Amino acid sequence: MKGLLRKDFYMACKYCRAYLFIVVVFLMVSLFGDDNAFMVFYPCLLAGMVPVNLLAYDENSKWHIYSGTLPCTRGQLVSVKYLMGVITQVTVLVLTGIVQAVRMCMADPHIRGGFDLTEWAVTMGVLVIMSAVSSSVSMPFMFRYGVEKGRIAYYVMIGVACAGMMMIGTMGNILPGSALFSVPAEWMVAVGVVLAIGIYALSWYLSIVFYNKRELN
Amino acid sequence: MNALEVRGLTKEYPGFRLDGLDLTLPEGCILGLIGENGAGKSTTIKLMLGMLTRDDGTVIVCGQDPAAAPAALREDVGVVMDEAGIPASLTVKQVGKVMRDVFRQWEQETFDQLVQRFGLPEKKPFGEFSKGMKMKLGIAIALSHGARLLLLDEPTGGLDPVAREQVVELLHEFTRNPSHAVLISSHIVSDLEKLCDYIAFLRKGKLVLWEEKDVLLERYGLAHCTEAQFRQLPQNCICQHKRTPYGVELLVYRAQVPAGLPVSPVTIEELFVFMAKEAAE
Repeated sequence: MKGLLRKDFYMACKYCRAYLFIVVVFLMVSLFGDDNAFMVFYPCLLAGMVPVNLLAYDENSKWHIYSGTLPCTRGQLVSVKYLMGVITQVTVLVLTGIVQAVRMCMADPHIRGGFDLTEWAVTMGVLVIMSAVSSSVSMPFMFRYGVEKGRIAYYVMIGVACAGMMMIGTMGNILPGSALFSVPAEWMVAVGVVLAIGIYALSWYLSIVFYNKRELN
Repeated sequence: MNALEVRGLTKEYPGFRLDGLDLTLPEGCILGLIGENGAGKSTTIKLMLGMLTRDDGTVIVCGQDPAAAPAALREDVGVVMDEAGIPASLTVKQVGKVMRDVFRQWEQETFDQLVQRFGLPEKKPFGEFSKGMKMKLGIAIALSHGARLLLLDEPTGGLDPVAREQVVELLHEFTRNPSHAVLISSHIVSDLEKLCDYIAFLRKGKLVLWEEKDVLLERYGLAHCTEAQFRQLPQNCICQHKRTPYGVELLVYRAQVPAGLPVSPVTIEELFVFMAKEAAE
C-alpha cells in the first residue's frame, strides 16, 4: 500500500502541479475579491478530480494491468485512489477553511460583522459535500468499465446535481413556508455532510467490489 | 516439484477461445511459449496470474491456485508484460523506491546492478525511454524481488540483438538455481531456441505441441527431395511438406525416414513454421 501511495504521490506531483497553481489563484481571488461562491467551490471540485486523473494516467500507461501482477490486492489498488482523494480534498478544504476565516475577519465589521462561526461551518459543510460527492459517483464506474465511461458518469452526475440544485431553488421560491425550507441551513448541511461521507464510503466499497470483478485485459 | 501446472485451462471471449490448455513447467527449467500474435499467449499468462477469470480448468503456480491464493503469491512471481506498464512520469530511481515499498523481498542492490548493467538512465522519465529500455526496466524489476518463477510475455520484443543476448544470459543465470523456473512467451523463436528446455506451441487458443526441446530436435528433421522422390516416400515419415521452385522441403520424423534420404537438423523456428502451416490446414 505504501508503495502504491508513493507512486500516486509522484504522479500527482508531476501531473497536478497546475491544479495546485489554480487552487492558490482561486483562494487568493476569493480572499481579496468579491463574494463569489464559484471561487470558493471550484478548488474543491478540482481536488475531487485528482484521483480520477490519476486513474486516467494509470490506464494510459497500462499500470492498471501491470499492477495486477504485483503483490497487492484489488482492494488496495482501489483504496489508494480513495486515500489520495481524501488527502487532496482535506488539504484543499483546510486551505479554503483558513482563507474563508481570514476573509471573514478582514471584512468591514459594519458590513459583515466579522467572523461568523455558523456561516463558516455552513460553507465548509457545503465544500465537504461537494468534495465527497464529486468523485464518489464516477469512481465505481471507472473501476468497473474504465476511465472513459467513468468520465461520462461524472459529467452526468454534474448535470444532475446542477438540475437538482436549480429545482431546490425553484421549490424554495414556490414553497417558501414549507417544512423543508424552515429547517435551519446548518442542520440541512450537517445532514448533507453525513450523507456525503456515507456516499464516499459506499462508493469506496462499490469500487472494490467492481474492481474485484474486472478482468485486467 | 513443478513451478507451474495448468490443466484444461479454458477461457472464451467473443471470437477467441483458449481451449483446454495443459502445461507443466518443472522447477529449474525454462518453457518457451511460442505462438503467432493473437494465439493466446498473453491471455494464458494473465490467467496464470489470476488477472483474468478462467472459465474452466486448474492453474497451480508455485504450489498455489492464483485465483484463490493471497496477493502475496505474486511476491514469488516476477512478471514482464508485453507493455511494461510503468507510469510515464516515473524515473528509474522513483520506480526503485516504489517497488521497495511494494515487494517485501525487494533487493535494491540487485536492482541497482541490473540498471547499471542495462545502462538505464536513472533520472530520465520512463515515458522518454525507448521500447528496449522499457523492457529492460521491466526485466530488472522482475529479477529484483526474489522471485522463484518468471512469467515473461514477449520480453525480448523491441530489444536489439546485444540486449537480447544480455537477457538470455540473465535468464540462464536465474535458472542456475534449481528452484527457479521461467515461462517465456515470444514469437522471436530464435531466442527461445537458445534458452528453453521445453517448448509449447499455441495456435488460435489451442496447444499444438508441448515437448522437451531436445526431444523435438531429435524427433524431427529437415529433408529436401525432388517431386518424384517425394511421391515414393512412405507417408508415415512425413510430418509436413512444402513445395519450392527447387523441389520439396520436408519436415520428417527422423526415425521413420528410409535410408538414403539425407536429413539435416531442424531449428525450432523451422519447426514452428511447419507446425503453424499444419495447424492452419
